[in-house]
Amino acid sequence: MTASELLVQRFLDQELSAEERVRFVVQLGRDETLRQRVIALEQLLLDATRLPRPAVPDAFVARVMDRIEPDSSLWRKVADALWAPREITWNLATAGAAACMAVLAVWGILAGVSSQAPGPVPATGTTAAAVATAPSPVLVRLVVLQPGAKTVQVAGDFNGWNPASTSLEQISSGAWTVTLPLEPGRYEYMFVIDGQRWIVDPFAAELNDDGFGSRNAVLEVRPLSETRKATL
Amino acid sequence: MRIDADDAELVRASQNGDREAFGLLVSRHAPSIVSLTTRMLGPTADAEDVAQETFVAAFKGLSRFQSDSKFSTWLYRIAVNKCTDSLRARRPQDVSLDAADDESAAVWETADEETPEWKIEQAQLAWELDKGIQALPHLYRESFVLRHIEGLGYDEMSTILGVHRDTLKMRVYKARTLLCQSLGHLDGAVR
Repeated sequence: MTASELLVQRFLDQELSAEERVRFVVQLGRDETLRQRVIALEQLLLDATRLPRPAVPDAFVARVMDRIEPDSSLWRKVADALWAPREITWNLATAGAAACMAVLAVWGILAGVSSQAPGPVPATGTTAAAVATAPSPVLVRLVVLQPGAKTVQVAGDFNGWNPASTSLEQISSGAWTVTLPLEPGRYEYMFVIDGQRWIVDPFAAELNDDGFGSRNAVLEVRPLSETRKATL
Repeated sequence: MRIDADDAELVRASQNGDREAFGLLVSRHAPSIVSLTTRMLGPTADAEDVAQETFVAAFKGLSRFQSDSKFSTWLYRIAVNKCTDSLRARRPQDVSLDAADDESAAVWETADEETPEWKIEQAQLAWELDKGIQALPHLYRESFVLRHIEGLGYDEMSTILGVHRDTLKMRVYKARTLLCQSLGHLDGAVR
């Protein structure tokens, strides 16, 4: 790099001292070629900062999470440990203890069925979590990150695809949420940003073609009893 | 895990096997990483694939991540390396990764880029500039993108790329000059 180029580079990177800057500006006033060159370079940097950011593809997060090998997760290690075959040596005492535990387990299940006490049940899907309970419907919470949004709504099978009927509430900087009472079933939905921009839920575990060249997020809400069994 | 937790909290939770926390990290940093891979590789399926690979590699390497460094810097470093690997695999004949040290790189092909209308149409300008960035020699391109698209300082760039900051300044300057020439800003005034 020549001395002249170095000077231009330091000017563009705002590394010149006040004195150097004055001298450089005076030089710009005298040298038309240098002036045009600096203007062109400054214009380029301005244009570069205005370049639109490429959009993050639909369901990008879900696809990344799918690619993460389950074998490396803590849950997989726990599951492996639980399901790994082991040799057990029996004697009269351990057999008696096992029989007692079996009797207790059967008694516990029968007692549980008779009481039918409701409890918190998570729904399926990465953004959905049940936060309360009742035999039916299930309360499902939707969350989306939209830091620049003024309003966020959701439209889907559960509200006749009418975004005006379901608005999300901003809970922290950029995070929006809503809790919906939904009957067990399968629902397609999209978020609507500022009343105009329809986006797919980036956390959606599943997407479905909408038949119009776009895709909808899919939310699977399972019955409480089924989810309870799955979590046991 | 709180959705507004900072990166350090989310990284700690992810290191303890919390996949939801890692999902939040992916969601938070996807715009930057997708932007970087798209500028480096062009708007192709490769760009998304490399962005995904970046996060997968980050997840696998979480145990090695040093908590005293910035997670975003670490991600950028992984992404830059993944882009380099992808470019090497894609077109070894016309990607010279040493081009930044070669002055002949200043005369890369620009014959199909003469459209004066770009000065009027903002979209056309963006398209031209994007094309010019992708035509830059690899080492110039990564320096320019990190500096002027991602807005990083030379110190952070030095950490990401493992290159001295003075060398990076030179590469960024060369990239600016080449871009000005390719976009017709200088009309051959810069040598």
